[in-house]
Amino acid sequence: MDKLLLDKIMGQVSKPARYMGNEYNMVEKDPDDVNIRFAFAFPDVYEVGMSHLGMKILYHLINERKDTYCERVFAPWVDMEEKMRENNISLFTLETKDPVSKFDFIGFTLQYEMSYTNILNMLDLAGIPLKAEDREEGHPFVIAGGPCAYNAEPLADFVDLVALGEGEELIGELLDLYADWKASGQSRISFLEQAARIPGIYVPRLYDVKYQEDGRILSVKPNTKAAPERITKRIVKDMDKVFYPEKIIVPFMDIVHDRIMLELFRGCTRGCRFCQAGMIYRPIRERNLDRLLELAERLVHSTGYEEMSLSSLSSSDYSQLEELVKQLMERFSHNRVALSLPSLRLDSFAKEFIQEMQKVRKTGLTFAPEAGTQRLRDVINKGVTREDLANTVTDAFRSGWNSIKLYFMIGLPTETEEDLQGIAELAKLVVDSYFQVDREIRQKGLNVTVSTSSFVPKPFTPFQWEPQDPIDLLREKQQYLKNALRSKYIEYNWHDPEVSFLEAVFARGDRRLGNVLLSAWRKGARFDGWAEHFKMDAWMEAFGENNIMPEFYANRKREKDEILPWDHIDAGVSKAFLWKEWQKALKGQTTQDCRVNCTGCGVSRLGEGLC
Amino acid sequence: MRVLVEYTREERVKYISHLDLMRTMQRAVRRAGIPIAYSQGFNPHPVMAFASALPVGVTSEKEYMDIVLEQPMSLPVLKEQLNHALPKGIAVREAVVIEDKTPSMMSLIKRADYKVTAAGVDWNQVIEAYTGASEILVEKKSKKGVTTINLKDAVYNICKDEENGEVLHLSLKVGDSSGLNPLSAVNALLKLSGAAKNEGIDLTAAVHRTGMYLIREGQWVTPLALNID
Ligand code: SF4
Repeated sequence: MDKLLLDKIMGQVSKPARYMGNEYNMVEKDPDDVNIRFAFAFPDVYEVGMSHLGMKILYHLINERKDTYCERVFAPWVDMEEKMRENNISLFTLETKDPVSKFDFIGFTLQYEMSYTNILNMLDLAGIPLKAEDREEGHPFVIAGGPCAYNAEPLADFVDLVALGEGEELIGELLDLYADWKASGQSRISFLEQAARIPGIYVPRLYDVKYQEDGRILSVKPNTKAAPERITKRIVKDMDKVFYPEKIIVPFMDIVHDRIMLELFRGCTRGCRFCQAGMIYRPIRERNLDRLLELAERLVHSTGYEEMSLSSLSSSDYSQLEELVKQLMERFSHNRVALSLPSLRLDSFAKEFIQEMQKVRKTGLTFAPEAGTQRLRDVINKGVTREDLANTVTDAFRSGWNSIKLYFMIGLPTETEEDLQGIAELAKLVVDSYFQVDREIRQKGLNVTVSTSSFVPKPFTPFQWEPQDPIDLLREKQQYLKNALRSKYIEYNWHDPEVSFLEAVFARGDRRLGNVLLSAWRKGARFDGWAEHFKMDAWMEAFGENNIMPEFYANRKREKDEILPWDHIDAGVSKAFLWKEWQKALKGQTTQDCRVNCTGCGVSRLGEGLC
Repeated sequence: MRVLVEYTREERVKYISHLDLMRTMQRAVRRAGIPIAYSQGFNPHPVMAFASALPVGVTSEKEYMDIVLEQPMSLPVLKEQLNHALPKGIAVREAVVIEDKTPSMMSLIKRADYKVTAAGVDWNQVIEAYTGASEILVEKKSKKGVTTINLKDAVYNICKDEENGEVLHLSLKVGDSSGLNPLSAVNALLKLSGAAKNEGIDLTAAVHRTGMYLIREGQWVTPLALNID
């Protein structure tokens, strides 16, 4: 990389530190000393990517290997992209500023569907052929992982490999194989075929998809004996033995989640029916208390961070939470480390916690009832009641909180006007609870924020067969809530339904969407998750050009026997279980927390002693 | 115990903002286990203050941070531990004890010197144009809005390096209303001679801060002269 040229453009873009690297705890190696160079690519800006726990884990894990140097690259912001193209600067990593095209691997993490165009854009900026089949010997292998990888079909044309499930063990096996393959001088396709034998590795090119005349899938079959019929996700069995970084990069810039993240466990036993994470990360596996305290201690010392969050799907479900919080407070309050519990659930949120947390810092409290009525909460299996909410916020107001955020979804299956009305009523319940607390005790200035997102049916959930509400209907519902939530204490936020529509298209999309991605990207779509860059027109034109009806994906009801684009992926949870859950949902029947009693989701097949 | 720390900001970290730097120092002090004092009040923060902010893209060999310790600490140890805890590219060079009642560095420092390196610029021509002009108006953006100041009021001294023709030495006022960001000053100079092509700051001219000074008994001295040991 020409340093003068880089300096010149860095002076002309916003936040140049995004591209600078050299943060504390960044790993430095001499590229000449390693055999494999791995570019960990996050298809969004630095501030977002650096906030991601999975990236921190894999970056430091891969760098434990002597033969491999893992470096980072993020999506350049639009001003940087412009300057890079103007000056013919190829996409480069933060660590060495070397062009990504020289690397052995580019690993993208797929956190949300709206980052897909950024992947194409990054490959293009790197000068790497976009389509996997056009890549030749000497080009990097493009691998993708993360939650959206469970249905990576819309990206099937662009990625060489997909990693399913937890990467800690899989990545080592893949790199070992790669080292052997590299030494052997075999062809590119032979590497892919060998990789396909590693459990959890999916090579889309080794499968053929056939369609019926009505557009539904007829079959998905491997086109070589090297590829298995179904690809099963990977899970790490022992959370105490698996690698967890004891040093993490401390960015100079302010990032979205700028703190230590302590992962208490993986998985979730609640079984909320809309939640993909709750299904794909099963089963629940905890770290033990001592290991967590040890990690916390080391991370506090190695980073100097002043804040730590407990990061798991439902952190308050940790079996020794009280003991953990108590001990963390004892050890670190003199170091002035603030503790935050981001995904608290109403029902297990004991009063003492509110008191404990208050000692360190008081941030806004967040609750997610998700639906407005008990009936609909039973449909989605969100076990939270009106009383839970009333009691908890009352305790919070008594302890000096005055800012409460409530999260809901609109467009959930079976939703009626009553459920929308219910959202407004719960918001009013919170306001009333505040005014019932003694004026002397409560903090002045009540602020209730209600946010609604629009329901996006996701693969591997009981709602995977369901249509999404059409955009117009979602707009009507938002308008209804705007009226119903008029109050000087309540602020209402909603998501753009056009974005939710596209999410729904790509979440359950198939390979035919690859060309749509390509067209939309050519029309300038990128950073689609950022309101200021979202271009619905470009997307609609892209669908039109490729004769694709997006409604087919977003708004169509699927039948039980339809072959879904992700049916050849085994995420642990069985299709039969999901269907059973869907039928129960329709009857308004709840399913208990499987910590109490196994509800037969099927994931225990994946290994002995898992559940 | 109040300690004044002199540190560098080198090439590899030159794109961080002043806010980034403050955050970095706070965390480095925590990592180093330095017994820094915290302010009282609802949201306590470590007691540390900085001299004049260094613009994004500028390197420096002498920056100053002023911290208050809760307990006394040996300065060589402080220096060593802090260096160990700092990212590469920021290094502590000196640490001295100063009077508890010393006014802030921000208010004391009056002058900053820079070394500007640019290939292909005829500095003689720039200096000539500068000397010839009676007024060179430069826009200055601050929180209060945009004001226009005269570059000639902001410059103490300007001269070409005797040995290296690519280098210009520039000495600027700091702290009062005519103080100017070095990048704006350099850009104004380059424009004056037609050397700067665009409106943005052109960082192909490397700007490096070589020192900051205050006046003591009628003399320019570095902040380290405040040492009371
Ligand atoms: S197998 Fe049973 S216990 Fe294990 S995650 Fe599934 S439902 Fe829960």
